[in-house]
Amino acid sequence: MKKVILVADDSPSIRKFVSFALTMKGFDIVPACDGMEALEKLPSEKVNLVITDLNMPNLDGFELIKAIRNNEDYRDIPIIILSSLAGSEEIQRGMDCGANSYLIKPFDPKRIAYEVSKYLN
Amino acid sequence: MKQISSMSDLFERLNDLKIVFRYGQKLIPIIQSLIDFMKETVPLLEDINTSISDTTNKIPRAKDQINNVSSQTELATTEILDVVDSISLDVEKVDKYIHDIKSKEDEKNKSWEEIKKLIPSSSAADKLIKQYESLDVFSSTIPAIEEVFGKIRNDVYKITLSLQVQDITSQQLAAVNHLIESVRMRLSSLIVHLDETELNSVDNVKLDIPEKATFDPDAVYTKSTERQDVADELINSINAKATQDEIDKLFS
Repeated sequence: MKKVILVADDSPSIRKFVSFALTMKGFDIVPACDGMEALEKLPSEKVNLVITDLNMPNLDGFELIKAIRNNEDYRDIPIIILSSLAGSEEIQRGMDCGANSYLIKPFDPKRIAYEVSKYLN
Repeated sequence: MKQISSMSDLFERLNDLKIVFRYGQKLIPIIQSLIDFMKETVPLLEDINTSISDTTNKIPRAKDQINNVSSQTELATTEILDVVDSISLDVEKVDKYIHDIKSKEDEKNKSWEEIKKLIPSSSAADKLIKQYESLDVFSSTIPAIEEVFGKIRNDVYKITLSLQVQDITSQQLAAVNHLIESVRMRLSSLIVHLDETELNSVDNVKLDIPEKATFDPDAVYTKSTERQDVADELINSINAKATQDEIDKLFS
């Protein structure tokens, strides 16, 4: 059975890039345009891993991570941040919220595949 | 006596008035030059006001154009990615076909070796076998085809990496839009001071400001891994600290 990855990003092209990089490696992608939609989709999809942007409308990445970590059903899901924010403060904050990895845009498709495989294989 | 005193007061007042008039006489040229200056300045201020008002009214169009650029490049990028995706799938399919052909070719070669053993040795048979084997271009062609497909795969990878420039530029354009809006607000407030009637025309302009737009003004498009390396280093130090904390907790 294919592993499911939820990708939360307000940029359609980034969702497509991630999908492109990971479907080739045999993963199923569930896209979400912001943190709110990601939270809504979590119960209906059997999500194995979450990739999230930080700057998003409605509910940003930090809040999404906190919400996932505060939910007993999903608190162990690996979370990878994918953001153009490269400052140490954001990285520290993201990791403090409960992310497992932090990737900076523009990202290397091989690197994202490697990070996902680290948690799912 | 009282009347004399009143007259004296009156003269004093008149004297004061005379002094005031004298000052007034001195001030009149200054006031006149001020009025002249105002006469010259007012049209200039009106020009500035009109200019600011025109500029402010043009800003929404500029913002719309920037938004259009963003959405059009977004669309184009998605279309290119669809094509790239399709190419990748085709390459994968061809890869699989080649793999299948290669494994069948191995079986065929094994069978051929068995057949050769069964053919009675003769100079005519040996010649035919050699001729047949020289016609087998497959083993020399496949590695070349594989090399070409490897290059295509690598190029596709580079395209996907380069196309991410769209996401970065759209964030930078969103930041520019934000700045433009700040300038518009400042200009609007300037118009308030200059001419309140102009304000209404400016404030009535509906701006398509993406209130929910999120962007990183410092987004950078770079192929260098330097930023990721710095992030990795930081994450490693965070993880190392966490591990040390866990060890400390374990032995406390």
